[in-house]
Amino acid sequence: MTPTSPISNPPGEKASTLTVLPLRWVRLDGRIFLFYSMVVLLTGLVSMLFADLLWRTGWSLSGVVLLCLFIALFFLIALGCMHGVFGFFLRMVSDRRLTRLRDYRAQNIQGVSTALVFPIHNEEIVRVCEGLRATYDSLKKTGHLDGFDFYILSDSTDPDKWVEEEKRWFELTHELGALGRVYYRRRVVNEGKKSGNIRDFLSTWGARYRYFVVFDADSVMAGQTLVDLVKLMEAHPQVGLIQTVPALMNAESLFGRIQQFANRLYAPIFITGLNFWVQNSGNYWGHNAIIRTEPFMQHCDLPQLPGRKPFGGQILSHDFVEAALMLRAGWEAWLAYDLGGSYEEAPQSMIENAQRDRRWCQGNLQHFMVIWAKGLHGVSRLHLAMGICGYLASPLWLLFLLTFNWMFWYEGQTGLSRITVHAFTPFLRVSATEHAFIIFVICMAVLFLPKVLALVDLAFDKERRRAFGSLTNAVVGAIAETAFSALHAPLQMLWHSKFVAASFFSAGVQWGAQKRASDGTAWLDAVRRHWWHTIIGLVWGAAIWRLDRTTFWWFAPVMAGMVVSIPLSVLTSRASLGRYARQLGLFLTPEETAPPPEIAALRASMDVLETSGRIDPRAVDAGLADVVLDPYINAIHVSLLREKRQNPTFAKALSDLGAGRPEVRALCEKLLAEGPSRLQQQEKILILSDVEQLPWLHRQAWLRPSSTLSRWWQNQIRQYAC
Amino acid sequence: MNTVAWMDAPGQLAGRPLEEWNGAYSKVESYFHALRVRNKVLLGELVARVLECAMQRSASHPQLSATELAVEEMDNLVNQWFAQVLSAASGGMEMLSTRGRMALLLADMPGRWQDQFLRPGPWPDEFVAAMRDSYLRAGPNFQLSQMTPRPLDLGPMATLTQWSRLPYAKMTVSWILFGLLLVTLFYITHQ
Repeated sequence: MTPTSPISNPPGEKASTLTVLPLRWVRLDGRIFLFYSMVVLLTGLVSMLFADLLWRTGWSLSGVVLLCLFIALFFLIALGCMHGVFGFFLRMVSDRRLTRLRDYRAQNIQGVSTALVFPIHNEEIVRVCEGLRATYDSLKKTGHLDGFDFYILSDSTDPDKWVEEEKRWFELTHELGALGRVYYRRRVVNEGKKSGNIRDFLSTWGARYRYFVVFDADSVMAGQTLVDLVKLMEAHPQVGLIQTVPALMNAESLFGRIQQFANRLYAPIFITGLNFWVQNSGNYWGHNAIIRTEPFMQHCDLPQLPGRKPFGGQILSHDFVEAALMLRAGWEAWLAYDLGGSYEEAPQSMIENAQRDRRWCQGNLQHFMVIWAKGLHGVSRLHLAMGICGYLASPLWLLFLLTFNWMFWYEGQTGLSRITVHAFTPFLRVSATEHAFIIFVICMAVLFLPKVLALVDLAFDKERRRAFGSLTNAVVGAIAETAFSALHAPLQMLWHSKFVAASFFSAGVQWGAQKRASDGTAWLDAVRRHWWHTIIGLVWGAAIWRLDRTTFWWFAPVMAGMVVSIPLSVLTSRASLGRYARQLGLFLTPEETAPPPEIAALRASMDVLETSGRIDPRAVDAGLADVVLDPYINAIHVSLLREKRQNPTFAKALSDLGAGRPEVRALCEKLLAEGPSRLQQQEKILILSDVEQLPWLHRQAWLRPSSTLSRWWQNQIRQYAC
Repeated sequence: MNTVAWMDAPGQLAGRPLEEWNGAYSKVESYFHALRVRNKVLLGELVARVLECAMQRSASHPQLSATELAVEEMDNLVNQWFAQVLSAASGGMEMLSTRGRMALLLADMPGRWQDQFLRPGPWPDEFVAAMRDSYLRAGPNFQLSQMTPRPLDLGPMATLTQWSRLPYAKMTVSWILFGLLLVTLFYITHQ
């Protein structure tokens, strides 16, 4: 591939002359043909068997529909299975992509500038700062800290969060001695959400950096990994981005620990399998990836999609599309599946997980539009299609079950007895029931084979085995995880089906902050979220019971998940059960048994903060009280606003918002006289955005007699007395 | 502060009830608390200085409460001190106040220099340098550039017209043929 954009070097620095060792090259088309042909072959053969079963019991239109749905669904599970199979065999022959490369280790990255960006949106800022601190300290130990700058890029719309972010940022930089290395910026207008946030950073400071690494709010990366990524980019100038594979960590709840265990046990073979056919045409998952700034700025500014929401407008799941645009421009995207030191956290309950899926679902379905874009690589279209299918599979499965039920019901209504015939399977000499059972077993085998292979893979690796507690622990964990997944999958099916339907018919999706704490789901909340799952499970189960007792037991696992959804959701969200499972040696992961220094440091600092009560939820308007009354927080906020006004884009946005207008003074008077509860959130934002009013407010709040201030302010001032 | 000098009547201080001055004391003390002046000796001394100034003005400003007088004095005292330490012009009181408070924080007054706060000069060179050099930067110098969205031709019809040029078209066709083969085989065996 020939990049269409020149590689930028800082002034006075020569372009890299290091000899690049090419990757072992196998034609990508050949790999894709081999991989997907295996999937098609498996799907074709099993579909034939299924079609034969339908033939034996009599063809009908609903049978054709059922067969089509079976083919689509089996294709998807066969796809997952093949990732596992290919990944397993590749790992058996020690396939390593990046760590095999020797050329980058000696690469000099002196003078190469990289920005580490943390886009946040009403997140738990304490956790963000501690994650940043862990990464910062780890990077410092490598001796390459000078080449990296850190940016907290806030898109927060909650006034209290805004103020707290500034306060925590200052404390962090002060403690690290990193003023001038760790920066904070809050956007005035939340346009374009996360991708807009990154774009704004690039437009303001992007030209200063050759690379940038995108973090999620809960990401942590090892310093050595970051240094390796920069070296790899320097040694391979044709590469536009390298995506690492983040390991899930720090889960406390039972649900979180199960997900974390599954991620750590199964991901290696799946990702290795994925890398087999993507090679240099990898994907971008939105965070924990290094990106070459210049081509990204040139090629990856996302256009608005034509039409109305939910499919038109801003591209929500921007990462896949950005990778596709990078590939379209001739740059390579690598998957650093064998490079460790990349971590993130996962939702701690089924409900949080579903909330995240709700956002991702609409974004992925939007790719229906992008998949047709001219000039995209075939591999990019495959990535986009896989993302879409990830959510479409659920309504297809639901439709499959319903069609099957319909056929059964219809057959019962006709009053005709079932006559099965022999078809081209007579050599099997099986009854129709046995025939169905064989298909069922094959489906189960295809579903569970990757899990078994992951355990076999683990059995061959002494070090990893120990990291999971032991092979026995891992096997027991995998069985328990499979049992939980069997109960969880029907709920995912209902949720995803609802999300897909909502995406097709509703106007859009709320981009709320994800709740990441592991304090557990309240029973009432669980009832509110799961009542319809329970009712569907009960009604559906009762209907099948009436229809046919034998069929009921086939459907029982699906119905069980729905019926027990409320207690399942509550109990798996409990951190106490997560800890208990850990005591039993269940769901252990390498990051739990032998935490890397970054994770250990993060946990230690979070423990200290929890013990000291510094991460307890703050009172409503606490941020507003701080920014008005606290002399230092007021000064920090005003100083940041003054600096912000120097950026013409921000200055205009502030002006458009209304900052500096005389009406803001009236709002300030109202704030002092009546308290913040009488102001709308947007009015509070406006006050907080006005660089002239805030010093005035600070002075007035302290200067005015208490009798002229609202009782709320009097109470707030009183708190400074002790 | 020599309070006896201001006692002009029983239960009165500088012509006002003792309780009123108590309120003024609390407010001034709260503000210094907010500035993280935690040393009780220094704190008491600073509050007393402010109240003494307020008592001096008390008679000439009967319309103002003791608290208002004290807070005004505190504000003046702090800003004048900022102007001296930072060698800044007195114009733009609120600007000066913000800059001064920021300098106090960056120079770590609460941690290292509590004894220097509101003290008349000369001050230690290190303290003055720390105050004057401190400047909060939330980001490096802007290096503005423009990102422009590249147009994305999404027309499926346009793509379909170039079907033969679609990537993996041959492969897809071969799979379809394979599927047709299976269908045919199925049809033949089920006659």
